[in-house]
Amino acid sequence: MTGFEIGLIALAIMALLVLAGLHVPIALMLCSYAGVWAITGSPLLASRLVSLAANDSISSYFFGVVPLFVLMGFLVSEAGLGKDAYAVANRAFYRLKGGLAVGTVGANAIFAAITGISIASAAVFTRIAVPEMVRAGYAPRFAVGVVAGSSVLGMLIPPSLLLILYGILAEQSIGDMFLAGIGPGLIMAVAFSVGIVLMAVFMPGLTGRPGKPDGDAMPLREVLAKAGPILLLIFVVLGGIYGGIFTPVEAGAVGSIAALVIGVARGSLNWRQIWNVLVETGLVTAAVCFLIIAAQIYSRMLSLSGVPQGLANWAAAADLGFWGLMLAYIAVLILLGMILDSSSILLIAVPLMLPVVIPMGLDLVWFGIVTVIAVEIGLLTPPFGISVYVIKSTLEDASITLGDIFRGAAPFALIMFLVLLLVIAWPPLTLALVPGR
Amino acid sequence: MINPSEPQRDPLALRALDGVTQGVNVAGSLLILGLMLLIGADVAGRNLFGQPVPGVPELVSLSIVAIVFLQVPQALRKGRIARSEALLSVLPRQASRALQTLFDLAGVAAVGVIVWTTWPVFVRAWERDQFVGAIGDITFPVWPVKLCILVGGMLLVLQFAARIWRRHGPGDQETGA
Repeated sequence: MTGFEIGLIALAIMALLVLAGLHVPIALMLCSYAGVWAITGSPLLASRLVSLAANDSISSYFFGVVPLFVLMGFLVSEAGLGKDAYAVANRAFYRLKGGLAVGTVGANAIFAAITGISIASAAVFTRIAVPEMVRAGYAPRFAVGVVAGSSVLGMLIPPSLLLILYGILAEQSIGDMFLAGIGPGLIMAVAFSVGIVLMAVFMPGLTGRPGKPDGDAMPLREVLAKAGPILLLIFVVLGGIYGGIFTPVEAGAVGSIAALVIGVARGSLNWRQIWNVLVETGLVTAAVCFLIIAAQIYSRMLSLSGVPQGLANWAAAADLGFWGLMLAYIAVLILLGMILDSSSILLIAVPLMLPVVIPMGLDLVWFGIVTVIAVEIGLLTPPFGISVYVIKSTLEDASITLGDIFRGAAPFALIMFLVLLLVIAWPPLTLALVPGR
Repeated sequence: MINPSEPQRDPLALRALDGVTQGVNVAGSLLILGLMLLIGADVAGRNLFGQPVPGVPELVSLSIVAIVFLQVPQALRKGRIARSEALLSVLPRQASRALQTLFDLAGVAAVGVIVWTTWPVFVRAWERDQFVGAIGDITFPVWPVKLCILVGGMLLVLQFAARIWRRHGPGDQETGA
């Protein structure tokens, strides 16, 4: 058997095992180990690869920031900054039809600029925005859909853990990845808002019929008091990165310290909470990095087998054309998103695809944004959809079922798909802010 | 799912395992806190006093490995390692249990390979006093990190085994988590 055939078989077995429910990193490790053994005929070499992956693959400064960005995300949500963002955004969209829902999108966009993980946003806004919207008369299904849809903004608007992961995989500058995420992230937020207003006007059966919000608008002074800490954090993190004071890698640490100081100063973070956040951060970090270790063995197996090269040749011979290839890629990512979480998909798909797109001369920063959006669409679609599960487990309302959340999120998945097409069709949207492109 | 009263019913060995797992998890969390303060001090030192903290990149790249391996056993215990549960939840109970046990054995094997292949790396680092950093500047020994990989890896193997025990062990029929 050729290495190519062995590689394909290993991939197929891996896919089966993952589908059947084997832990993803374990599936990656075992199939890659067996694959390398079969290709090279040397168990020693296969073992060496495993040892190398465990000992060296994440031992770099870049991976050191993974826990810090996760920590920052959890700290800002625990410090109550999400609630403040929500209050401020609501004030802005007070008079609009569907204003509370648009406010949720706006709050998510603001919150995304201080956190890098979408599960943090999903959990925070399920707790604060859903009850508020339901009380105002929105259909519960629509309310959870808004939260599910807008939580993906956290992965596009910098800082973002997924963009960091992609930057590492594709050897692109993390600062560039962050800049590239801003345009599509803002367009997505606007598209969500327009979609919400249209739905509220033309399809009130879907959104419910919210009454006028009761009480007066929040006084301006209170708005400033609530917006201040958030703006300060955004300024510190993004200003620090692009002002050249610290690197994107260091921004996680500085952002965490700033969030910690703000939280403690406002009295909204106590020691118990800080400790819980630390433990939670550790668990998320371990899960993600363990996956990365496994993915290193996997990508080594892939390159030994020549499968990505074969895939590239096949794509060239099949003459799918640019759009054909892109649509096929997106379809695969969305399918993967139905069963896996976003970091797993990124780590599995990107090493396979890079050798295909590099000869086509496609911009790798742009390709990363396309990948991340497509992956996030998958997260809103059944049966898996991790964002939806986070929302379900945070929601203290048994009457809203998983099916309700998926149906509520469907219009937002559709809007994301349209934005994705726009991003593909018009690369400047992504690359305009990135220097030297 | 995990039954809240389960820990009381676990035999001593499993409770001890969970205790140790949690202990190293705490150590990992403290390392994250340390990492944050270290990088913060480096940024502040560089910008405010023109004096970076020496050895930060080396320390960061060493500790991230330790952090991951110290926390991953607890991540498994808490069900945080990525997996797809779609099929397992629709299979008949007996089949699902059997398949999960098979998968846990796969986990034991995969992580076993990591521990097995890291052992000689640890011995070498220990015996030869391997370090990172530049001589004359600041250097850090490598063996503590290798030790963390070994300890974390072994705990992870044991946690996979403990899942099998909890599923099939005596006295507990209902917690098929």
